[in-house]
Amino acid sequence: MNYKNKPALDAGVSDTTNTPTTISRRSLLQTGISAGSASLLPLIATSSCSLPAPGPPAVLDTGIAVTLAAFSNRVVPADANGPAAADCGVVAYINRSLAEWNQAEVALVTAGLQSLDAAASSRFNQGFAQLTESQQDELMLAMEAGTLENFANAQQVFNRLHRLTLEGMFSDPYYGGNANYAGWDLIGYPGAVLGSTAEMQQMGGRLPALHTSAYGEEHDGH
Amino acid sequence: MAINLPETDVVVVGLGAAGGVAVLPLTRAGLQVIGLEAGTWMNPAQDYKADEIHNNVRALVTTGNKVGREVPTFRNTPDQVARQAARHPMMNAVGGTSIHYHAQSWRLNPWDFRIHSSTIERYGAGYLPEGSTVEDWPVSYNEMEPYYDSIEYEVGVSGKAGNIQGRIDPAGNIFEGPRQREYPMPPLRSCDYLDLMTQTAKDIGFHPYRGPAAINSQPYEGRPGCAFHGYCDRGGCHIRAKSSTDVTTIPKAQATGNLSVVDNANVRRIECDNTGKVTGVTYLRDGETYFQPARAVLLGCYTYENIRMLLLSRSPFHPDGLGNNRGQVGRHYFGHWDAQAGVGVSALFPFDLNIWYGAIAQGVMVDDWADDNFDHSGMGFIGGASLHAYTEKHPIGAAGMNTFGRTGRRWGSEWKSFIRENAGRWTSAYVQTTTLPYNNTWADLDPDVTDPFGDPVLRITSGPKPNEPLAAAHAAGKMIEWFRAAGAIEVTGGQGGNGPALSTHAHGGTRMGLNPDTSVVDAFGFVHDAPNLGLIGGSVMGTAGARNPTQTLQALAWRTAQHLADNWDTRTA
Repeated sequence: MNYKNKPALDAGVSDTTNTPTTISRRSLLQTGISAGSASLLPLIATSSCSLPAPGPPAVLDTGIAVTLAAFSNRVVPADANGPAAADCGVVAYINRSLAEWNQAEVALVTAGLQSLDAAASSRFNQGFAQLTESQQDELMLAMEAGTLENFANAQQVFNRLHRLTLEGMFSDPYYGGNANYAGWDLIGYPGAVLGSTAEMQQMGGRLPALHTSAYGEEHDGH
Repeated sequence: MAINLPETDVVVVGLGAAGGVAVLPLTRAGLQVIGLEAGTWMNPAQDYKADEIHNNVRALVTTGNKVGREVPTFRNTPDQVARQAARHPMMNAVGGTSIHYHAQSWRLNPWDFRIHSSTIERYGAGYLPEGSTVEDWPVSYNEMEPYYDSIEYEVGVSGKAGNIQGRIDPAGNIFEGPRQREYPMPPLRSCDYLDLMTQTAKDIGFHPYRGPAAINSQPYEGRPGCAFHGYCDRGGCHIRAKSSTDVTTIPKAQATGNLSVVDNANVRRIECDNTGKVTGVTYLRDGETYFQPARAVLLGCYTYENIRMLLLSRSPFHPDGLGNNRGQVGRHYFGHWDAQAGVGVSALFPFDLNIWYGAIAQGVMVDDWADDNFDHSGMGFIGGASLHAYTEKHPIGAAGMNTFGRTGRRWGSEWKSFIRENAGRWTSAYVQTTTLPYNNTWADLDPDVTDPFGDPVLRITSGPKPNEPLAAAHAAGKMIEWFRAAGAIEVTGGQGGNGPALSTHAHGGTRMGLNPDTSVVDAFGFVHDAPNLGLIGGSVMGTAGARNPTQTLQALAWRTAQHLADNWDTRTA
């Protein structure tokens, strides 16, 4: 039986602004690696995180993207249960969402991450991405509770970044996140299909992974 | 200056769930019909995806240019400034929101049509909720039955009858009103989770049945059976198994040769002569303004636009808006007391449910705590809610689960470990509750917010309601009992606070009734003082049942259209 969908969409928006600076931003966004975070460097070699197709223009500049990668990696950290968010392309997903259908939130996300960095500098004298995990968690807990100084909408920003991280981690890999189906494997979602059989609704343990994208094999993140 | 078009018999404004049905009896009667639709045709094979971002995040199957320009504002009390909602709950397309709805397709209970008199008879007048403007409908269940039957067979509904001409079958809903015959298709297939819930319900004395769905359970009229891919919610059906009107009644009406579909048509006004009679509609298409004359008009937009269109269509005979000479347009509006109002129950099981695939309408229902199916003496409320356990779970939504207090944070390694185990082990149930109209809840034109043409958008004012939270809480308690008996280890529920803001189940505002002082349209759906203008859609419904409204508003639309065809000379005189 073939559950796989037929390819249906083209590659999406192409990037025609290949200036040197956007190349460097794009390379960061495509890999999702927070270059400034030494603690994450070992993961570079072990993860395969390319966008499936030419991505949208980079909306977030390098510094902001590094902070976002560090934030998302505390929401979904690398551990025994699988890779971290940024290593699954979550930053690339969020960039794509802000470039295409979520443009209204660019200012909220950008200013919010700058405020988080400012809070990190004020409390620890370093950017957020350079902090230890426990320092990052301390700031994020305060952000979630809305108690960070000079960050009036911290709670709103936290909720949106949290939500966007989940979207990137658990959406179809077509959009640049959920690389190698790491998000779907984590929660046991087998994959996008055009139809299911009664067997695919049977209880009694987890269903086997299908690793299928709604947009066909060339867009499935492999 | 508007371009004048040749006169037609009937203009139907909006080809969604209601208008898309009404065109069929009209065209079969030989009337020439022009359907004006603000959206255009969708392409099922290209436009619909098994993709949560496409459907639920980007809302690509739930939007439209027109609805996006006229999103209503909302407030709870008159002293507040109403704020415009982020998004309109409906879409513009041929087929309208019947494309992406869950397709649960119900008849109302006979009790729903006579709540006012039935309550007085059984419990006394003091049992009617304070502040409610509820009336009996001007049509009974028995009068509706042939039209319900037409919808089930012409649109295509799957289900199991519980009452055929008085013979009760416990495999179906034993509380339903009598129907003339079985559904045209058996229910959608079951699955392990639904079998578990069905057996559990029986074990605790409930009367479970498979919910009816306007989705093919097997090939029907050239369309295939449901594929259960799990992206029915806010997504269209890629194989046309969902019986949206763009793949059912509209093509049938086109096949008569009597329907002309005009897409991308933005209707701006309904025009009247100086006797109050409707002469046609003015619409905008590709930058040109047209006047389409018609002998009769059926207004079949969503509830919000039906109300607004009447209020905007002022003339010397109707200075406060069409049909509004007694101030009833917008009154008796309300949103359904359902999940959008915060009503529902969630449960966590200690095993994988494997309900990723399926469809929301693939469900098992309990009506024991709905309608007047139990004795309300001493309970302090009337009505109740249906309970609906269902399938279809999307990965982002699953991962963003309620953690039931079992993990301290909603992020980090501990949380990641929690969702790894539990994202596939939780589910929710719908608790859709009887909802009544109240004096403190209505729709009018916003004094400040306009669409890009300068026309005011609709403003919703929705105050607290005494009956609905009690009815919802009672039924939610039964849902919790059902989940626990099935083995759930955590259960949480809500009864709704202030009710919904904007709703996909918006009712009323052009209520049907016998008394022109308390309603806008007559017993057949025609404006009391504009006899050739019919209203179709949820806006004519005076109460909401413990279930989704679509099949009822479709049956009413069929009935209004059939009445127009059968009484053509008197209605258009």
